[in-house]
Amino acid sequence: MTRLATRGVPLGPIPARAGIGLRSVHHDALLEQRPDVGFIEAHTENYFHDGGAAVRALERARTNYPLSLHGVGLGLGSAEGIDRAHLERVRAAIHRFEPALVSEHACWGHAGGEWFNDLLPLPATEEAARLLAQQVSEAQEFLGVQLLIENVSAYVAFEHATLSEWEFLGEVVARSGCALLLDVNNIYVSSQNLGLDAQACIAGLPAASVREIHLAGHERAGGVLIDSHSSKVCDEVWELYRVAIARFGPLPTLVEWDNDIPSLATLVAESHRAQHLLDQRHGLAA
Amino acid sequence: MASLHELQKSFADALRDPTVACAVLPPANLSIYRNNARAAFLSALELTFPVVRRRVGDDYFRQLATHYRERSPSRSGDLHWAGRDFPPFLDEHLRGGDYAWLADLARIEWSRAECSVAAALPVLSATALARFAAHDFEHLVFGLQPSLRLHSSPYPVFSVWLANQTENAPPVDQSRGSECGMVLARSDHLEVRHINERMFSFLSALQSGLPLGEAIVHADLEIEALTGALDFIFSENLVSSLSLNEAPPTTK
Repeated sequence: MTRLATRGVPLGPIPARAGIGLRSVHHDALLEQRPDVGFIEAHTENYFHDGGAAVRALERARTNYPLSLHGVGLGLGSAEGIDRAHLERVRAAIHRFEPALVSEHACWGHAGGEWFNDLLPLPATEEAARLLAQQVSEAQEFLGVQLLIENVSAYVAFEHATLSEWEFLGEVVARSGCALLLDVNNIYVSSQNLGLDAQACIAGLPAASVREIHLAGHERAGGVLIDSHSSKVCDEVWELYRVAIARFGPLPTLVEWDNDIPSLATLVAESHRAQHLLDQRHGLAA
Repeated sequence: MASLHELQKSFADALRDPTVACAVLPPANLSIYRNNARAAFLSALELTFPVVRRRVGDDYFRQLATHYRERSPSRSGDLHWAGRDFPPFLDEHLRGGDYAWLADLARIEWSRAECSVAAALPVLSATALARFAAHDFEHLVFGLQPSLRLHSSPYPVFSVWLANQTENAPPVDQSRGSECGMVLARSDHLEVRHINERMFSFLSALQSGLPLGEAIVHADLEIEALTGALDFIFSENLVSSLSLNEAPPTTK
């Protein structure tokens, strides 16, 4: 987005610094402590409403930090089409909060009139890439912004997939003109669950299209890694992050923590770790 | 090869019914998505109906939530509204039994969910009445705050809700009978309180758009009670607008 700031903080681009995912339990602490983070990212759906404490808190936080809005409910890969009412609420949130980045997921979420409220995986096929790209294009036109599309964690593979994940995402970028949000933890989780090559995925993505990185923790349940966002980032993911910023350059990097949420100080410390790696690699001032 | 639409349909069917096959590997991992969907829905209900959950216990609440989800699955990517039909579901499910009052308790909690995200309009004080001529008062239409919800129940559900803000609250004697109350979003909290039956009738009439004169008749208010009712709605910051029923405002 290129509009000028109206809230005291530049609307874009978000600096190539580390930020934090804003969750309601941290609203008061963030406003009081104003920690040194590069930006905040909020789940769009949590701020859909006409009023309330959460909306007021984000409006206040928005005066101190650049904002990224990150949608988790649109499911633009749903074959039954885009939920227009949901899309309109995303647009209202964009107008209200003036984010510098707006992102969604490469996933689907509803079928037969039922929403599953999860990031359901798409098969890496030409058909799915075409449909996702078409609906991303429609959404971008309606919203008036370029979307960043995030790769999701996968616990299953599709028997008839014909593309690699990076080929699939590259196809969506080429067809829709969207950008990418690379979730390094998701790549790691999928690679462990499905026997994929995480480094090959990072190497294969269209480098110029990656505009943001996500980091998060996961947990192991039996033999499966679950993208739980419930712990610190593991060493293997930090290592992949080093690989990613070496390839894609300095990028806004978000630490997400959605379950078993720690104190704001712990979350900020985790983001500072990402900032340290950015500084090490690219010599950026914190 | 199945189309994407067919694939998503079979995936969705497999999420609803573990015995349905879907062309994914390993099939057992579909349970992760099935559990995620169930847990997200349950979590949304738990957040919205904490006192209902407290009264019935975790196990029975989960049973109710599971049955409710089968009847009213999520229809939106925003789970805030997932509990909209939970009170009427409880009505139907518990009708005639000892726990029929839980439906009205759930209505209070659903109102809290609605009020928590409602717009807050500027508040009018009683001095705003001075803009109107006295002979026009009966035609005044009061705009009340969008975050105000009113309830009347044959059960003492406001007492139950207020008593159950901590764990292990003693049961409320159901023989206390009917109660009226309101839910309102304040700047820093959600207020749940009793109101008397006449105040409930008066506020309900105003909220439905009846002009003051008709609301007074509806609530059967004598002049002294009317003074108290007007004092209440202004002192509690419930009024956001005043207008005349039909003709443009008459100024003095």
